[in-house]
Amino acid sequence: MCKGKKFSVVVMLIVLTASVLAFAAGSKEAAASEIVIGSVQDITGPTSSLGKMVDSGARLAIDEVNAKGGVNGKTIRIITYDTKGDVNEAINAFTRAVTTDKVSALIGPPVANIALALAPISERYSVPFLNLAIDPKVQIKADGTPYKNMFGMQPSADQQGSIMAQYAIEKRGFGKFGIIYNESNAYAVSLLAPFVDTVKANGKTVAVTTSYTANDKDFKTLLNNILQAGVDAIYSPGYTQELILITQQARAMGFKGALIYGLDAGPPFNNLLGESADNIYFINNIDTTEPHLEAITKSVKATQNIDVTNKFFLGYDIGNILVQALGAVGSDSVAIRDYVENLKGYQGLTGVITMDAKTHFPLGLEMVMHTYEGTTPVVLERYSASY
Amino acid sequence: MSLQILINGLALGSVYALIATGFSLVFNVLKFSNFAYGAMMTCGAFFGYFLSAANGWGLVPTLLVAMVSGAVLGLLGQVIAFQRILNNNSSPIYFFVSSITLGTLLEGFVTLKVGANFYNYPRFFESSTFKIGSVIISKSDAMMFVLSAIALLLLAYVIKYTRIGRALRSVSFNRDNASLMGINVTMIIRLTFMVSGALAGLSGVFLGINYTLYPTLGSLVVKGFIASVIGGLGSLSGAVIGAVLLGMMETFLIHLIGSGYAPVVTFLIMLVFLLVRPRGIAGSNVQEKA
Repeated sequence: MCKGKKFSVVVMLIVLTASVLAFAAGSKEAAASEIVIGSVQDITGPTSSLGKMVDSGARLAIDEVNAKGGVNGKTIRIITYDTKGDVNEAINAFTRAVTTDKVSALIGPPVANIALALAPISERYSVPFLNLAIDPKVQIKADGTPYKNMFGMQPSADQQGSIMAQYAIEKRGFGKFGIIYNESNAYAVSLLAPFVDTVKANGKTVAVTTSYTANDKDFKTLLNNILQAGVDAIYSPGYTQELILITQQARAMGFKGALIYGLDAGPPFNNLLGESADNIYFINNIDTTEPHLEAITKSVKATQNIDVTNKFFLGYDIGNILVQALGAVGSDSVAIRDYVENLKGYQGLTGVITMDAKTHFPLGLEMVMHTYEGTTPVVLERYSASY
Repeated sequence: MSLQILINGLALGSVYALIATGFSLVFNVLKFSNFAYGAMMTCGAFFGYFLSAANGWGLVPTLLVAMVSGAVLGLLGQVIAFQRILNNNSSPIYFFVSSITLGTLLEGFVTLKVGANFYNYPRFFESSTFKIGSVIISKSDAMMFVLSAIALLLLAYVIKYTRIGRALRSVSFNRDNASLMGINVTMIIRLTFMVSGALAGLSGVFLGINYTLYPTLGSLVVKGFIASVIGGLGSLSGAVIGAVLLGMMETFLIHLIGSGYAPVVTFLIMLVFLLVRPRGIAGSNVQEKA
């Protein structure tokens, strides 16, 4: 190698080393002045509408705090990881968040299939994972003890399923049900047994239970079996797109009875359906007619052009719970985990949240039964989750 | 089997028939399976939705827009993805790879443009069903059946009785000989892709009306492919027969054993059928390129 070349190589090495050192110093400086939390959500893929809402809600909560100077003099940085609705992507994202980005806490998705895959992996680390999966198997291990880092931030499937059945029987007087559910969806499966058990406990009947898979789009044949049984109501705990198809096809087949749906029949279901949503009953985390929620809805529409749904408010609550935890115990992930496990009386937009340390689900958090008049949501009944 | 199940099966079969025909048309001429067909269906359906349905234009303009955009996409697809392969007489595997690539590319564009959410076509009918005796028939199903039948009969007539149809058949039989007889082979191939694209657009709108509109709508092309295989790859009449049989079989199996096991049994029946009769129902004697 000639002298000129040697000199060039030495200069390049010096510049490179200086750059790395400067970058590292900058990173340390940034790390010292900020707290990092992660948001593992379906930003693209079939359930992206849900993930984006949770992420937006959490971001609003964090932005509001940062605008006031952050927590204990530190700003909070939220990193969003896209699961793409895929379990492997979700696992990679989770691992990257806790090992590379060293997040203090994670906000999880409202998708049980994804959260189920992450639950056992979360045990290897010490980072709390505040998610919205309602399947108890996401938060509780097979031996009945909770996963140490997994926390469900809304009422469990057991609570929601029983509330829907209780309402249908007590308030609407239905006695004969047909059920159609997605057997490949953990969320839908988790809502099946609590509903059926409550129906049977009240001396009523489930005439037909039929299942479909994720790829099904034509439900007419399955619905035909239910309609022939002469049921009062059809219960279907699916995702929005499936519910729209089931509604359209059941109505097209002449079914005039009630349709009882889970969370995903909440707005924007009514606008996507393309017809009247009369005689549909669904459960929701919030009463959308409450003035302070309406104010947030209008504000977010005006500033971000987002039509918020219940998932937005759930995300907002999780964001603020983490802010409160960071303020109380700092950015140590184990301390945050302990704080969340012992959370009591947090007044959120979705209700008063007290964490049950035995189940890692909120205790007694209210749910609200709704219906539609045409396409307008109407609040029917509040239920505390004591069922 | 109740009459209602039969009607449901027929309706499902007519959707598959449209997909299978567009699919078979290209196979008939070029002897390869165009797996970009599903993405062309999706694109056609979205064009129809955004250019007309969302503006309240009604069903007929929506179908026309979807068919025209499907035809244009078919032509562009042929020019961009297949023309060079044809010119170079390249290895058959390139047709397969190119069609998969084109399909993925188109689906990616759709996802980028419209996001991962789903859309719902506006209601084109005042009431969605009518009754004949105790049988309830969906208006969109009935219209789909009628329009599919018209489109397929028209296509059959063109292929059998017109100069272009004769040219298409001769290109399908032997491209070199057709060229020696003075037929513009490139033009016929492009026309085939355009007709196939128009059928893709038509299928896309029907699928969108029945099953909502989403970026991976084209995955239903698999059913069309299965129907083509059952019917005999390359045979248009076989594709229609295979599609109707598949629709009926699926509906009957769902009624009998439920949705979870129905696809398993469907594929099992198909495998057994192909073991017994590898050429399919129509028994087209073609060697697939890829």
